[in-house]
Amino acid sequence: MLKLMGAALVLFAGAMAGFYQSWRLASRPRQIRGLIHALQVLETEIVYALTPLPEALRKLGRKTAAPVSGLFGQIGDRLEQEQGITLQEVWEFTALDYWKQTAMKETEREIVRQLGRTLGISDREDQVKHLHLAIRELQREEMTAIDEQKRYEKMWKSLGILAGVLIVIMMY
Amino acid sequence: MDNLEEAIMPDHVFSFLPGSLHRIAAGLPREILETLQEIRIRESRPLEIVYDHDHAFVDAGGKISDNPAAAYRPSHQECLQLLDLLTDHSLYTFEEELKRGFITVRGGHRVGLCGRVVLDKGEIKQIKDVTGFNIRLAREMIGAGRSVLPYLIDFEAQTVRHTLLISPPLWGKTTVIRDLARMISTGEWPHQLAWKGKKVGIIDERSELAACVKGVPTFHVGPRTDVMDHCPKAEGMMMMIRSMSPDVLVVDEIGRPEDAAAIREALRAGIKVLATAHGAGLEDIRSRPMLRELIEEGIFERYVVLPGRKGTGRPLQVFDGSGFLQVKTPFDSHVKKV
Repeated sequence: MLKLMGAALVLFAGAMAGFYQSWRLASRPRQIRGLIHALQVLETEIVYALTPLPEALRKLGRKTAAPVSGLFGQIGDRLEQEQGITLQEVWEFTALDYWKQTAMKETEREIVRQLGRTLGISDREDQVKHLHLAIRELQREEMTAIDEQKRYEKMWKSLGILAGVLIVIMMY
Repeated sequence: MDNLEEAIMPDHVFSFLPGSLHRIAAGLPREILETLQEIRIRESRPLEIVYDHDHAFVDAGGKISDNPAAAYRPSHQECLQLLDLLTDHSLYTFEEELKRGFITVRGGHRVGLCGRVVLDKGEIKQIKDVTGFNIRLAREMIGAGRSVLPYLIDFEAQTVRHTLLISPPLWGKTTVIRDLARMISTGEWPHQLAWKGKKVGIIDERSELAACVKGVPTFHVGPRTDVMDHCPKAEGMMMMIRSMSPDVLVVDEIGRPEDAAAIREALRAGIKVLATAHGAGLEDIRSRPMLRELIEEGIFERYVVLPGRKGTGRPLQVFDGSGFLQVKTPFDSHVKKV
């Protein structure tokens, strides 16, 4: 009886691990899309509304979907509250910290980090160039992410269950 | 002559300075902080301050000396950080100002910038590689206008006269005209007659007069005062005349031909104008084409040449519309140190 319960648990855990991996795969393209959308909104704020970055980022925090909203909201809040701290410092630190809460990978984080180093320190024309560059790179990552999702999403689901089954079989 | 004056400590200015510079500035002796006028930051070169019309170099511990060799030298990184902080992390919101070589930050402080200028079709597009900063502290001094206002009163019309305030840079023109705006708007007249405050319109092209944050003045400019922030002076004056029906218009640093046209328009509308101009005295002003025109037309009814600080021996001089000296006070400081 105990063995049976253990087997069920192992099976369940295997399935969950598989589902989690496939969820991450499915979330990544969605979150990258969210990020691209956020950067587009930011571009509008910079080019047309001339909103200062702390305010613009806080606005992004309200306008965009999680988890991207939290990242920008946090940066905006910190810039507004803490004095004598530069955007680059806050951006770097928050992006590093926040990335664990997303399904996105290192490559996306690097793009965002690079963007942080250029944001706010040049004229509008230049800002737009950097934003467009980041958006283009993110779009490329989105394509890879979609590709990976197609290829591995189902695989991870079955793999999780199968691994569970394998362990159960070995137990018996 | 003036008794009640408030010198506001420039603590909040230091929030614009990155870590190391902040510590140095905050470590300056108190008596210097109180009279601090400029902080001059040049990349890889000695840190300098101007205070009480004197200057000195500052070392890493906040001690001042005349020896530039011992002074602290701000790094490239610090200059980048400073620019980031001064522009509220958003340089792109200061594009217009960058073309003119200065930005005005929260609190009304003007920061002059130097660096490599980028041209576009022969016109200045922006300053790149900003390596020189001159942070000029704006100080609000309630009472700074008290010694001047008595000479501007027109008892017949129950208002002030068209006035041009004249002084060299750093002598407190802006401080005085701001306080005049406050007194006129509040109705703080130098006499005992029951006059009310006037509607005052301030055109604050450089955000120095009212130091607006999101359009709301942070300096005391009076309850009946409207402020057109960040607006070119000539256009701003016309907009005010058309829409805000001011009794008195206040503008800082006039000098362009279009300013003269706007002042004439204000005159026709029966609006009094208080303006300032850079200059050592009335003669100096006469040598500038646009101002000479206005003088010859007899537009201004009063010219006030502001006095220098203690020890400079320059008196307050008031001339009437035709340039005759009306008053010359012996006192040598209109803005006393507290």
